[in-house]
Amino acid sequence: MCRILAYLGEPLPVEQLLFDTDNSLVRQSYSPRLMNTFLNLAGFGMKAWDPTSLRPDDPFTYRATALPSFDRNLRFISSKVASTCLVAHVRGVTYSGEAVVADTNLHPFHFAGARVVLAHNGHLRQFARMRYSLIEHVRPELAQRIEGTTDSEWIYALILSQLDDPYGVPETRELAEATADALRILRDVRAAHGIDTSSPVNLCVGTGRSVVATRVSFDYGWYPPEDEMLETDLPFVSLWYAIGGAYTEQDGSWQMTPGEPPRSVIIASEPLTADFSSWLEVPEYSMLTAELTPAGLAFETRDLDV
Amino acid sequence: MSDRETVDFLAGVPLLAGRDEADLAELARVMRRRTVQEGETLWRQGDDPRELALIVDGTVSASVQVTGGRAAEIGRSGRGEIVGLIGVLDGEGHATSVRVTETATVLALGRLDFAALLAGQQPSAFRLKRHLATLLAARLRSQLEYLAVSLGGAAAGPPAPEAAKICDELEDARAPDSRYVRRMATFHDFDPLALWGFLTSGRYVRCPPGRTLLAEGAPSTAYYLTINGAVEKVIVRGDRRIRVGLAGPGKAFGYESLIDGRPSPVTAITRERALLLVVPRDLFGRLFNGEDTVSRGFLDVIQKDLMATLRETLRPCARLAASR
Repeated sequence: MCRILAYLGEPLPVEQLLFDTDNSLVRQSYSPRLMNTFLNLAGFGMKAWDPTSLRPDDPFTYRATALPSFDRNLRFISSKVASTCLVAHVRGVTYSGEAVVADTNLHPFHFAGARVVLAHNGHLRQFARMRYSLIEHVRPELAQRIEGTTDSEWIYALILSQLDDPYGVPETRELAEATADALRILRDVRAAHGIDTSSPVNLCVGTGRSVVATRVSFDYGWYPPEDEMLETDLPFVSLWYAIGGAYTEQDGSWQMTPGEPPRSVIIASEPLTADFSSWLEVPEYSMLTAELTPAGLAFETRDLDV
Repeated sequence: MSDRETVDFLAGVPLLAGRDEADLAELARVMRRRTVQEGETLWRQGDDPRELALIVDGTVSASVQVTGGRAAEIGRSGRGEIVGLIGVLDGEGHATSVRVTETATVLALGRLDFAALLAGQQPSAFRLKRHLATLLAARLRSQLEYLAVSLGGAAAGPPAPEAAKICDELEDARAPDSRYVRRMATFHDFDPLALWGFLTSGRYVRCPPGRTLLAEGAPSTAYYLTINGAVEKVIVRGDRRIRVGLAGPGKAFGYESLIDGRPSPVTAITRERALLLVVPRDLFGRLFNGEDTVSRGFLDVIQKDLMATLRETLRPCARLAASR
């Protein structure tokens, strides 16, 4: 299990999302409020787009298996980057000898040359049984780029493979459809292998101009016997958002200012503040899409029937 | 307000119905009477829920923060009504901000004092739990009606006889492993013997996805507890619908109707295939009105479920209020 964060909107210092709030993403690595029994200590990663930077279409990248709370480099960098789009992730793995904590398993995933990145909060149970059946749905050149051992990287490759051009910047609608199609493929492959236990797939997929997020689970509510992750998986894996003008600190508390039409949105596994009152819960089995447009932020939620 | 007047006032509060005078006098002694001026705030949403407040006179407004730093009023309360119950019961921070709109006299009852009233095996504690369930079910119904009205039109449930047959048509299943059930947060505090009593009280059924188990407007014939899978609670009007809850493992549905005898306020449809514990109406009545450890645990489960559902439903209510 992990925690994810996506931001799209007015330029915002990354440190405000990663460090400054009382339930910031980095804090969620060692003290998540909405996760039972698990911590997210297996690494940090982010992709941050800054339109004032050199080659603004390429995001700043930072990934490290070090604990982000003690990572001074991350603090220094995040205080210097003001991003209009961010996808970030703290990784959690089961406490077992089988888990691989390595740079190649850190999110967000981003194949060289591609313009889409992905972070995942969840896990596909019995992934080893279905991994090689996914090959036929992944473009060969993309399959060759899979370096790590995670299910998430395969989901990323699967989504890219559904795009007309895996190396272009897709329209938001196309990216949303590709994401939904990838989930349907996963559903079918699971069914073909008789896999029918709960597998949450909360995703944040970003391009720098748009973000697609999902809050779904296959076979929610069904667990294998003696499941060590049961307490974590019993509640539907959380996803929240805050939308408005700009994310600012006012009188000591962080919140979105009013904005109509909205100009900024934060999507996160947990609200970034202990006070949840200005955050909205993403409905279960749904997809959010957000896109920066000249008129502001285009934002939609819709049911996701996969 | 004299002590005598306080006791007389408490005697008229439905939640405290059935308590003898000595009991009420004792309660009056631990409550703190305050006069709060118009415009003052009793507490803010998210504040540590140290107390609830019984309104003796005046009016208060409950509001919920919505996105963009705004607050939406979701209701007003006056004489004889109680505010702050949800936070005091679940301990997760006050669910709403409460501001006095007309100078009010309130009797404040501390969280620990209220917990003491609910503790123990004496009949008054059971009675209070039942009154509480009735009060919370009424609040939930009121919030759901508010949402339903926003959709316009009328509910189109199946005829009552059809709804009554649903439970009989489901495929029987084996009881779940009690070790699995014990790991659900719902049952963490359940006495092991009482849990066994509860888990063997009904019938287990399997249900495929997409099956309507309960129709809005039709009477509920059973209390359903999801063991595996998930059931959506929705309000549907034509092609418009609002999902007001998702009953995953350890969450229940169908009981509002059994508590207050009115038709179901929601439609319940299996979202995933599901394994359900079905407690038929007569057995529900025995558990709800009983005074043993099984009933105590059962009433606690219902109370937890109502708290969670009320909190869930507040969000769409707030969004709706803010949009008006």
